[in-house]
Amino acid sequence: MAAAAPSVFLLMVNGQVESAQFPEYDDLYCKYCFVYGQDWAPTAGLEEGISQITSKSQDARRALVWNFPIDVTFKSTNPYGWPQIVLSVYGPDVFGNDVVRGYGAVHVPLSPGRHKKTIPMFVPESTSKLQKFTSWFMGRRPEYTDPKVVAQGEGREGKGSPPWAGWAW
Amino acid sequence: MAEVHVIGQIMGATGFSESSLLCKWGVHTGPGFVSPWAAWKLLSGVREGQTQVDTPQIGDMAYWSHPIDLHFATKGLQGWPRLHLQVWSQDSFGRCQLAGYGFCHVPSSPGTHQLDCPTWRPLGSWREQLARAFVGGGPQLLHGDAIYSGADRYRLHTTSGGTVHLELSLLLRHFDRYGVEC
Repeated sequence: MAAAAPSVFLLMVNGQVESAQFPEYDDLYCKYCFVYGQDWAPTAGLEEGISQITSKSQDARRALVWNFPIDVTFKSTNPYGWPQIVLSVYGPDVFGNDVVRGYGAVHVPLSPGRHKKTIPMFVPESTSKLQKFTSWFMGRRPEYTDPKVVAQGEGREGKGSPPWAGWAW
Repeated sequence: MAEVHVIGQIMGATGFSESSLLCKWGVHTGPGFVSPWAAWKLLSGVREGQTQVDTPQIGDMAYWSHPIDLHFATKGLQGWPRLHLQVWSQDSFGRCQLAGYGFCHVPSSPGTHQLDCPTWRPLGSWREQLARAFVGGGPQLLHGDAIYSGADRYRLHTTSGGTVHLELSLLLRHFDRYGVEC
């Protein structure tokens, strides 16, 4: 069977990082970036961004609102490696240092239309109690040197000492 | 060849009595009958993996958000992929204990699907149950195929574990050439 010529298709993503719920933290900003396979390339728009810093509303919702626009178009020949959006949220700790409050990732929806996604956020944790105390005290939490690893499946086991975690000095 | 794209996430798990959970997952494909025409080929993606260990801080759901991106080629419907899962819990000493086995079929209609996969674990004798409560450990399956196959299940006595939540999107291609409408 003759192989069909690869056909290019476009994926247009419009939306916003609307808001977040973090019961324990305040004064947060978020960064987004996209992770995609080898057959994908962005053709228009920004594939990364940093939002403003926001504080919790005074009303009962206690919401952290960013309303941060996302506008990007990808082109590809293969659905494999469908883009994922990776979000990292940062905020100040007790001593005033900027620390990571959460990472999360989700695939860009596969069907056309309007979608609302809620992304759970997690932080890497040291397994040793001494390391946990030292990092709290010094304000140097375990942080991923490249947040894009959050979108990958391989290498997540043994989270106590992940090969990719770096200390941001 | 017809192609199937499975793109999504293992979102997390609820209902387990243990916390600090991790999930080992794998995808098993055919053959339904042994036939060279009905073989599934994995063109891109990894067929199995392991999530990180998650300890819920807020609420009871352990979140993994583990991405799944698979590209299969096939000539037949027999042996449609099945996702099998093993949920383990990790204690503060780093030892892992089985929390549940589960499987679910990959959906067969295109679009986005929310899946809830229930899990079970082998119960063992009353001695083994007591030991598991105090010391940990407990019976496990020697061969993983009992997780997704019905043969020989009648020998097992099991108890239920929690539920694993997945969101999978399916893209199908060229199935009309084989007489399948989707």
